[in-house]
Amino acid sequence: MTVEEGRLSPPRLNAARRFVRSYLERPAGLAGLGVLAAFGLLALCAPLFIGDAQLNVIKVTGPQLAGPSGSYLLGTDQAGRSIIDLVIWGSRESLSIGIIATVLTVLLGTTVGLLAGHYEGWVGKGLMHVTDWFIALPSLPLAISLAAVLGRGAASITIAIAVTSWTATARLVRAQTLAVEARPFVDRARALGAGNTQIMLRHVLPNVTPLVLVSSTLTVASAILSEATLTFLGLGDPTSVTWGSMLQSAFSDGAVTAGAWWYLLPPGIAILIVVLGFTLTGRAVEHVLNPRMVGRS
Amino acid sequence: MSSTAATGTVTGRETSSRPVSGRFELLTYLGSKLAAAVVSFFVTLVIGFTIFSLMPSDPVRTLTRGRPTSEAQLAHLRLQLGLDKPIWERFLSFVNDTLHFRLGYSWQFQQSVSSLVADRLWPTLLLMGTAMILSVTLGLWLGVRSGWRQGSLFDRIASSTSLTLWSVPTFWLGMILLVVFSVGIGPIPSLFPAGGMSDPALPQSGFGHYVDVARHLVLPCLTMVLVVFAQYVTIMRSSIIDELGSPYLLTARAKGLTDADVRRKHATPNALLPSVTMIFMQLGTLVSGAITVEAVYSWPGLGYLTYQALQIPDLPLLQGTFVVFSASVIIMNFLADVVYRYLDPRVRAQ
Amino acid sequence: MRKNLRTVVTACALIGTLLASAASLGVASTASAASSTTLRVAMSSSGVDTLNPFLAFFNGALDSFGSIYPTLNSLDINGNPGPYLATSWTPSADKLTWTFKLRDGLKWSDGTPITAQDAAWTFNLIMTNSVAGTANGSLVSNFASVTAPDATTLVIKTKAPQANMMYVSVPTSGIPIVPQHIWQSHVAGLKDYKNDTFPIVGYGPWVMTDYKPEQYAKFDANKSFILGAPKFDHLIEQSFKATDAAVAALRSGQLDFIGALKPIQYKALVGQKNLTTIQETGNGWLGVEVNPGAKTRSGKPMGTGNPALADPVLRNAIAIATDKQTLVTKILDGLGQVGQGYLPPAWPQWKWAPAAADEQKYDPAKANQLLDTAGYKKGSDGIRIDPKTGKPLNLRLGIHSDDPTDAAISTYLAGWLKEIGVNLTIQPLSMSALNSDLAKGDWDMLMDAWPTGPDPTYLLGIQTCATLPKDDGTGGNTDAFFCDKTYDGLFKQQLTTFDPAERAKVVGQMQDLLYKAGVDQLLWYANTKDVVRTDTVTGLITGSPNAQGLYPVQTSFWNYLKAAPVTASSKSSGNGALIGIGALALVVVLAGGGLVLRRRSSAGDRE
Repeated sequence: MTVEEGRLSPPRLNAARRFVRSYLERPAGLAGLGVLAAFGLLALCAPLFIGDAQLNVIKVTGPQLAGPSGSYLLGTDQAGRSIIDLVIWGSRESLSIGIIATVLTVLLGTTVGLLAGHYEGWVGKGLMHVTDWFIALPSLPLAISLAAVLGRGAASITIAIAVTSWTATARLVRAQTLAVEARPFVDRARALGAGNTQIMLRHVLPNVTPLVLVSSTLTVASAILSEATLTFLGLGDPTSVTWGSMLQSAFSDGAVTAGAWWYLLPPGIAILIVVLGFTLTGRAVEHVLNPRMVGRS
Repeated sequence: MSSTAATGTVTGRETSSRPVSGRFELLTYLGSKLAAAVVSFFVTLVIGFTIFSLMPSDPVRTLTRGRPTSEAQLAHLRLQLGLDKPIWERFLSFVNDTLHFRLGYSWQFQQSVSSLVADRLWPTLLLMGTAMILSVTLGLWLGVRSGWRQGSLFDRIASSTSLTLWSVPTFWLGMILLVVFSVGIGPIPSLFPAGGMSDPALPQSGFGHYVDVARHLVLPCLTMVLVVFAQYVTIMRSSIIDELGSPYLLTARAKGLTDADVRRKHATPNALLPSVTMIFMQLGTLVSGAITVEAVYSWPGLGYLTYQALQIPDLPLLQGTFVVFSASVIIMNFLADVVYRYLDPRVRAQ
Repeated sequence: MRKNLRTVVTACALIGTLLASAASLGVASTASAASSTTLRVAMSSSGVDTLNPFLAFFNGALDSFGSIYPTLNSLDINGNPGPYLATSWTPSADKLTWTFKLRDGLKWSDGTPITAQDAAWTFNLIMTNSVAGTANGSLVSNFASVTAPDATTLVIKTKAPQANMMYVSVPTSGIPIVPQHIWQSHVAGLKDYKNDTFPIVGYGPWVMTDYKPEQYAKFDANKSFILGAPKFDHLIEQSFKATDAAVAALRSGQLDFIGALKPIQYKALVGQKNLTTIQETGNGWLGVEVNPGAKTRSGKPMGTGNPALADPVLRNAIAIATDKQTLVTKILDGLGQVGQGYLPPAWPQWKWAPAAADEQKYDPAKANQLLDTAGYKKGSDGIRIDPKTGKPLNLRLGIHSDDPTDAAISTYLAGWLKEIGVNLTIQPLSMSALNSDLAKGDWDMLMDAWPTGPDPTYLLGIQTCATLPKDDGTGGNTDAFFCDKTYDGLFKQQLTTFDPAERAKVVGQMQDLLYKAGVDQLLWYANTKDVVRTDTVTGLITGSPNAQGLYPVQTSFWNYLKAAPVTASSKSSGNGALIGIGALALVVVLAGGGLVLRRRSSAGDRE
């Protein structure tokens, strides 16, 4: 999983051009990117065509828990809201929790990894031990415990996800930092009087960033899954519209008994598609950046 | 949860890839790994306790909800649940208790957490064990096939299927399987029971009981296998691909062995080495799966217990299941080290 | 290659055979049950916390105790006290001494006679041992002494007159009496005693023979039970956390009865073949509590509640801005009644309705007008300003985060309050976070629900000033910081009023006070919805429906006692056959899939 030395060194422009060219040759990656673009666009544009009239339970007029029909393409929920509108609206919250959690994960992981890789003494060792301890902790029980203690809602779920998933990034960044710092240009910089901070931020970080971005696409995928799971377990905000909360209310209201497949299927399929989109994109970028992996589809 | 199908780094094994000699070195190796595991467990205890003591929580009024209770009763209940002690005292007794396999006193069940865990350990072991064996078998088999004929139709079908299933939320897949195979949909009748671990109307022992439990096991186990096997496919596939170019395979072929024999007798055993340790390390995913699957299928195990503990939340119980789950992952990681050592041909050769 | 193909086919066949044999076992199970009859019901979804009757709070456990331990009194299907162990009970002239005459000749399930001494021992243990008082201590808090002068006489002396004496020891909601000869050796370790030696020695319509946590409890019938023998030979209560799983089991014939369905499930089951669905009159309310200004017992303000809510006009405006009927229609699917009186309609003896002039009918215009008149002017953003503090009316509403009903209601409430210029922030909280906010007074509005048995004393009691917390913030179990001296006076009065009609009148006055205060704004009484199989069981549902088609409250005690097996021999085996066919189909599909997969892979190999 380490990138061969020199692969990411300047000139960066050429590298970027090469990157785009190779990426375009990967149909799965393109499909993933397409899905993400579509969902992203849908989520951003949702407020244009979905508003209070579709979402506010005191204003909607649809039939209760009715199957798909002409005016409600995917049927309605218990309050008479259109499922398709809810799924589209839900993408906003689900995606933003996934992305914010990932940003936190990346920040935390990169900081720890960078420090652990740069300071090889007891600081580095200590940080690596902490990382190892966190890796040993089973993530869902830890996330559940955290969310249960922090209180219910999107914020605590986001924190719980970040706290349980930064370790992979930290390890990656540490390995990368060690590799980069072994290269001559870092020694040169040091000889010219660059301080620790400068070396880390100016020299190491730019070389580590591409890999971190790749791994973060995969982190978004698992963060979205985690959000759905934690919300399903009753740790989220039940009044917000997310894919996880839709599934939770479908499950606890008895949609299974009523055979309301239009209530059960769409949120799950939406999760599936988006997670798949992130995974495909991430893997494609990974292969392009790291040809040693090319064989691994 | 944080582990993804594509990432997965085996680390901390650099030391063992150096050829070492003698029984003494083996013991040192095991000893250091064991020590690390023990330290890791102790840190887990600290982390667990810190999390659960972050927020003062008074469950007493929640427990007694809907029942007549006097003020004296509430005060007594607080005393009984140990909610009146200072925090350091609670930590010391927590560590002491854990070392003696006591895990505190559940608020909602009013029993020791250890006895609750003991009651529910076997169902979880059964579910997770079966799911693990099946998904590992399936995953490795598919992974070897896919990797060996990389890019073939089989590879593409197997890879894309596993990737898709990996992207599905476990609990949702559980719900869908529940609707299709247990509630029955359209022409499909109800094939399997919707929840629980056995049919209480049947005798609870003998062959019939085992078959009955197996019947109840099908859907929860299937759900877990479908979600989990993907990562084993990916791991095994990469390992096989890594072996593909190795000279020893060329030699084997040159000896006139059939393609299948080369794969079975030479490539697979070598590719297993990195995969097996990775599989042990992925146990955390299985634990996560157990919690949601048990919640969907009312499987009376530890995951379901965790789910129940969430409602109040019953902090000592959550803490207890957290410690148990963490301990199991730590033990598995330790076993991974041992197995690695055993499988590594460079070590075995001596 | 050949060899591999064979392996795959063999594996498929093996899996198929296993599945088929598993499925056929399902068929066998329905057939073998013919010799002795078993009633199979879903356990109360709260489950069993512990089988120790001195500690248990969960309904699943309390239901079981009602079946396996005796009580002094029984409750008839209308909730009126009747005989059980006691055949008569008489208060002394000063109403401070009660004499219960107990039946002679009853025996515990191990053959030891049941005497008044067992009852006296149980009560005394709860009164003197705080561990034993964990669950039921408050029921005996007014007791001065309990003695058994002879084997069939029990004398209870109380500190003050107690009108609800006949409700203290009743099945499920009261104190179960345990055999002294079994329990006296467990007093020392009572806190950790799980009471799981089977069969459990007790007396009741059933004997518990087995229990597996989160799986099931099994019972054998006590065919010599004094209030009538159960018609079934065995009873199995099966635990289902998800009601959908229970419904699936009911549909496939593995269950006979489920209590407490969700509205959607009820609607899906109405009118289906071989099923009867009924609704019971609701025995509890769901409401919004409004913080009227939390105070300690000595009147010291506490907590962070919004001071504006101390104004009864605002509370009243909130009440009439809430469209309760829509909540019942939309969230309960119409399966409930709009909330009004503090005591639920299941107990008609306490029925009360507000005077026409006082009724808080849904009228947002009037609510707005009330607030305008009281000086709550609207700010530029449409949110009203509290004239006393000059701050906008921002209120918090605490809801149970794991309860989708709370979430649904809260979204409606937020919408309605916005219409009257009140901004509502919804706070999803865990149960204990919500309750601890409540106790500290750190709340504006909270979702709350209370069920009650036929005796309302406790539910009325949590509204008295005596339940407010002490000055240091500890103690107290007030429901919503309501405190009213007149109410307290009436509370004492009803407790010592022995004439039922007279007592109902006093209780009515109390409900009137609570209604006008607007501190507990009751939204609805949800009907309890049950389903029972008609091809296997009959007579399980007790009582007959009222004019609205609602049955009286069903109790597991009478339901399982009265239920009788359907003797008709025409029990279909179609289900079993279907399972077999289904399994066979699956085998074919699997084998076929295996073959296809195999083909593809070898095609790949050839490439």
